[in-house]
Amino acid sequence: MQNTEKTPFRQSMSALHTWGSLIAGWMLFVIFVTGSIGVFDEPVSHWMQPERAAILSTMDYDPASAADRQAAVGKAQSYLQQVEPNGHLWFATLPDLEDPAIKLFWQDADENPYQAKLHPDTGELLPAAVDRDTEGGHHFVHMHFELHSGTLGIWIVGFFTLLMLVALISGVIIHRRIFKDFFTFRSRKGQRSWLDAHNASGVLTLPFQLMIAFTGLAVFVSIYMPAAIFAHYDSPGAFFAEVFERPVPREMTHQAAPVADISQMFADAEQAMGKPGQFIRVEHPGDSSATFTVFGLFDAEALQGRLVLPSSGMAEFDAVTSEQRHVEAPGAEPQGAAFRTQRAMRTLHFANFGGYTVRWLYFLLGMTGAVMIATGSILFMVKRRQRALKEFGHATQRVYRVVDVLNVAAISGLLIACVGYLWINRLLPLEITGRAGWEVSLFFALWAATLLHSALRPVNQAWREQLLAFAALCLLLPFVNAFTVGEHLLSYLYERDWRAAGVELTVIIFGLLALKTAQKLRRKTAANDRQAASVNNEQVGVRG
Amino acid sequence: MTSKPVAISLQALAAIFGGYLLASASTLFLSAILPLSKTEAVITASLFSFVVYPMAIIWVYARQDVKRAWLGMVMPSVILIAIAWLLSRGLS
Repeated sequence: MQNTEKTPFRQSMSALHTWGSLIAGWMLFVIFVTGSIGVFDEPVSHWMQPERAAILSTMDYDPASAADRQAAVGKAQSYLQQVEPNGHLWFATLPDLEDPAIKLFWQDADENPYQAKLHPDTGELLPAAVDRDTEGGHHFVHMHFELHSGTLGIWIVGFFTLLMLVALISGVIIHRRIFKDFFTFRSRKGQRSWLDAHNASGVLTLPFQLMIAFTGLAVFVSIYMPAAIFAHYDSPGAFFAEVFERPVPREMTHQAAPVADISQMFADAEQAMGKPGQFIRVEHPGDSSATFTVFGLFDAEALQGRLVLPSSGMAEFDAVTSEQRHVEAPGAEPQGAAFRTQRAMRTLHFANFGGYTVRWLYFLLGMTGAVMIATGSILFMVKRRQRALKEFGHATQRVYRVVDVLNVAAISGLLIACVGYLWINRLLPLEITGRAGWEVSLFFALWAATLLHSALRPVNQAWREQLLAFAALCLLLPFVNAFTVGEHLLSYLYERDWRAAGVELTVIIFGLLALKTAQKLRRKTAANDRQAASVNNEQVGVRG
Repeated sequence: MTSKPVAISLQALAAIFGGYLLASASTLFLSAILPLSKTEAVITASLFSFVVYPMAIIWVYARQDVKRAWLGMVMPSVILIAIAWLLSRGLS
């Protein structure tokens, strides 16, 4: 028995759920889809770097050789010393069997970021034709947590994550029959079906959605909620130094002093940690306060199944005098229940604790969350197309039109931009300067184009055309890949390259799903048109 | 009487900024009174703010009363911050 009478509280919550989610839905869909793809950033990067295999097979560099690693640190230093002797920061990642380049990242004195890749053997810049310049799968991760907009983006994502929590709580409050809804799905019933799909996807994955939203906030707790940190510490740096039991970062002295030979310190650091180093960092090089830090190899395999990850090891030096300041033994456990809890939540959010099984689970649950969000946004308009509620007086129809346009661009438009990004990776010439940045800019340009299309077409056509465009982009991707770099699903399977095959297969499945949805939409629109026509005829008949 | 768009905006502002104020105040208060080490108290209090904030927003929207919403956010915040401030002065 259904009790449709609503208390004032439930009524307020219903309004909060409807309007809060309408505003948050578009951005949350973007966060969920890019986050779900981002779970597979490594396989996606692998697919986007087809030239890698050739460098890996010809390089002399051996990641297991201490001498090679030390030499790589020397190469990083000579390059950085030349381009940015007085920067704010130098950072380098040493080559491994996945990524052969010495990857450099640095900031000039004004903290503007730069990056470059060096050949592991020669120490010279890797030409673009040899190693494709791309953000790879990281693009999706960055869209997910900062929308490629730095700290501002982190705040925007955090704000919408908060609205997600509010939407989930208010959603639970207005569904008194929550467990019954779990088993309710009435297909082909128009508005009811959209509501059932929204409820089923939401209720089914509710624990995951609550977990992922809360842990997402917890990852950036020091950015989102710094009140207590500022009340108890001089700076966030001092707080982190105490939490991690590491030395407080040194203030700049503005006295010039050259960085000593860091490759020698690197060898000392490996000795002190008793394991290979993987990342190095110099803070304010050229200043007498400069520090040099080595971080030990992160061994994901060995840490499988652990939520609280122990330290990978680190050693810190005075970069000018080469004097050792601090050593953190690998395997050291984070101390304190609260800190360990925060670390566990990070691991839970990053989905890197259980190999591909966990990654696929997160991908499916995240995409189901995206379905919940999309069906909710569509339901808003399906309801109002049947019966306009006139919430905005004279402007109501205009507001509805804006919602329709944004729904299409945020949902099918984003999907087009995501698969389009893979096309761009294959079609953009290799020699362009700043190629990785161009890939991302074109991703946004493509997305903007879908918004324009959605604004110019009637809503049902816009949905159908964009779904068909998405399906075409997905299903034709293997051909583009074959024509541009000579690889495709079958060759990947033949080479037992499961990661690249997985990427392409997943894209194909999404293409088929979109095709099916577009067909359904056409039948539905045709049926509606017939119905509308017959209603009109009847009215004409009555009048006649 | 305020007009409807103004009332809606004031309520949203109470939820977003009033809610953030209350969440920050609860963090300051908890970090001052929790019988834990300083880092542990700060982390616990900060993480708990993600429970306070959504609950504050739900509370603001539980009844359509803008004045009550703002009072409900600002009053407890002032009290919590005052206690946290007095405690920090007493201890130093």
